[in-house]
Amino acid sequence: MPPFDRLLIANRGEIAIRVIRACRELGISPVAVYSDADVDALHVRLADRSERIGPPAPGESYLSIEAIVDAAARSGAAAVHPGYGFLSENAAFARAVTGAGLVFVGPPAATLEALGDKLAARRIAAAAGVPIVPGTELAIEVGDTADLAAVGFPLLLKAAAGGGGRGMRRVESPEGVPDALAAARREALSAFGDGTIYAERVIATARHVEVQLLGDRHGGLALLGERDCSIQRRHQKLVEESPSPAVDPSTRAALLESARRVAASVDFHNAATVEFLLDADRNHYFLEMNTRLQVEHGVTEQVTGLDLVGWQIRVAAGERLPDGVLQPAFRGHAIEVRLYAEDPYAGFQPTAGRITAWRMPQGPGVRVDAGVEADTDLRPEYDPLLAKLMVHAEDRPAAIDRLRRALDETVIGGVQTDAGFLRWLVDDDAFRAGDYDTGLIADRWGHGPPLDGDDARLVAIAALAGRAAAQDLAAAASTPTDDASAWGRAARHEALRR
Amino acid sequence: MTDREVRIGDERVIPAEGWRLELSDRARGIGQLTDGRIRVPVLVEGAGTDWAVTLRGRRVPVTVRSWRERILAEAETAAAEHSGPVEVKATLPGLVVAVAVAVGDEVAEGAALLTVEAMKMQNEVRAPRAGRVVHIAVAAGQAVATGASLVRLE
Repeated sequence: MPPFDRLLIANRGEIAIRVIRACRELGISPVAVYSDADVDALHVRLADRSERIGPPAPGESYLSIEAIVDAAARSGAAAVHPGYGFLSENAAFARAVTGAGLVFVGPPAATLEALGDKLAARRIAAAAGVPIVPGTELAIEVGDTADLAAVGFPLLLKAAAGGGGRGMRRVESPEGVPDALAAARREALSAFGDGTIYAERVIATARHVEVQLLGDRHGGLALLGERDCSIQRRHQKLVEESPSPAVDPSTRAALLESARRVAASVDFHNAATVEFLLDADRNHYFLEMNTRLQVEHGVTEQVTGLDLVGWQIRVAAGERLPDGVLQPAFRGHAIEVRLYAEDPYAGFQPTAGRITAWRMPQGPGVRVDAGVEADTDLRPEYDPLLAKLMVHAEDRPAAIDRLRRALDETVIGGVQTDAGFLRWLVDDDAFRAGDYDTGLIADRWGHGPPLDGDDARLVAIAALAGRAAAQDLAAAASTPTDDASAWGRAARHEALRR
Repeated sequence: MTDREVRIGDERVIPAEGWRLELSDRARGIGQLTDGRIRVPVLVEGAGTDWAVTLRGRRVPVTVRSWRERILAEAETAAAEHSGPVEVKATLPGLVVAVAVAVGDEVAEGAALLTVEAMKMQNEVRAPRAGRVVHIAVAAGQAVATGASLVRLE
């Protein structure tokens, strides 16, 4: 019997599709929500039914508690899965869902609240005997230079309500504090409606390593290994892998124990991730606990063979985690790369436009979770994540070779993406050696290498031949067609020129 | 075809010899380059003189033009350069969150003019060359579309 008859997914894009897939496998009827920008979106077409929740602006649609709870009630859903981002860690949303008599697929609202305040989370971790990054215990105000001097420079200003790198600024010296504090506060206010900022010391050559947790409502807690998420731009992850090349068995045991302690000190069930920094001596420091499914959960699914989203739904319905989940067998090595509509040659600035060509890789050990397809218009209102490409192989070198092969099969047209960076990364010596930290992009990539001379000549012949082929196509067409493709336009263009 | 030159940015590039393009999906421009020995996946998109080739994940804008098209384009560029003012336009749709300059300000090349939030990130719009701000077309809090005029420099 399915855990629920019908479940509403309060999200969009690839994660909405991921939850739809879990619903299908469990025999649950999935309900999508959409803003006016997403009427024709893939996640809407894949669900059994869909509910409009408002205009394109996230604040009036995907972040509107009222609109989503209304939609859930209207659709007859028994449960709501929040995905990640948007309202996934919002305690008021979790309360509104349960208040409407529905099941919230996530940890209890009080736990979201306690850990959503990153300052409070630091205190919880410290009280549980878990090391935290040295920093301020209280929110900083303009003029609190003494506290900051005690933390030490360089330091990171962070939003207490933060996540995803927003409201975060690195400060090299006391003189930089006022500007950085103002910028961090402005960004935090606009992103989270809360401008509370605290400070943490920057840990040199750190790696970002996190532990996946899954808990049931009966005290069962599964520690599903670690993921290394050190490759980041703007404090946002681009590449994740499991196991971490920097973690040996004793470090792993220490990380899992710290994660267990944090989870045990709050009322926890469902899925969450405890994030740590790991310094060059393999000391770990608690960063935060994310009380939701992570973007990169698929990496853990590949090395454990478990369906994390399926289990989120099942434990939400009251099921117990079986021994196979509580003591999973880990197998091989998995790597995820995120395909973003961003220009890695221009500081990873978002790009806009329409996805023209779209071909995703296939074959052994390859998984793609995509939220777009060919002819999708990218919306500036939403996250520029296009797809997650994951590979799984026997060991790390084989996984990297598989990733290179998969990237070579990947075709994305219409916009610049980070694929060029990812293709560079798989041949980078430091990455291949597993010897990298959170500074890899700044230190080794920068704005990318100049186009190699041989590649430039290949690009030139391709463009020259492409234009000639468009001309041949135009010559072959005796009358203009109504072919709306780029090549059709190119052909007509050439026809007009003769 | 042979009278056409290929430019990547400002640089003229001699096409690789002995390679040819095979298109497997003409409508989308998906194909392979081959020298008869190996095949390299490539994506070719564009129309007229403006093309983009994606090779090893990197999308490279390319100009393909005959000498006649080149002379025409150069004449247009020269005309634009002599007309004086520079219009700074939005490259992405987004929300103006802060304006850092005022009318009458002298700005250096690369100076921050305003901050536009797009895709949940704040991006600085910078001066393409040194000049004096003569007009500001937007205010903080205003949404802008791609190509919208933001600031005029003289």
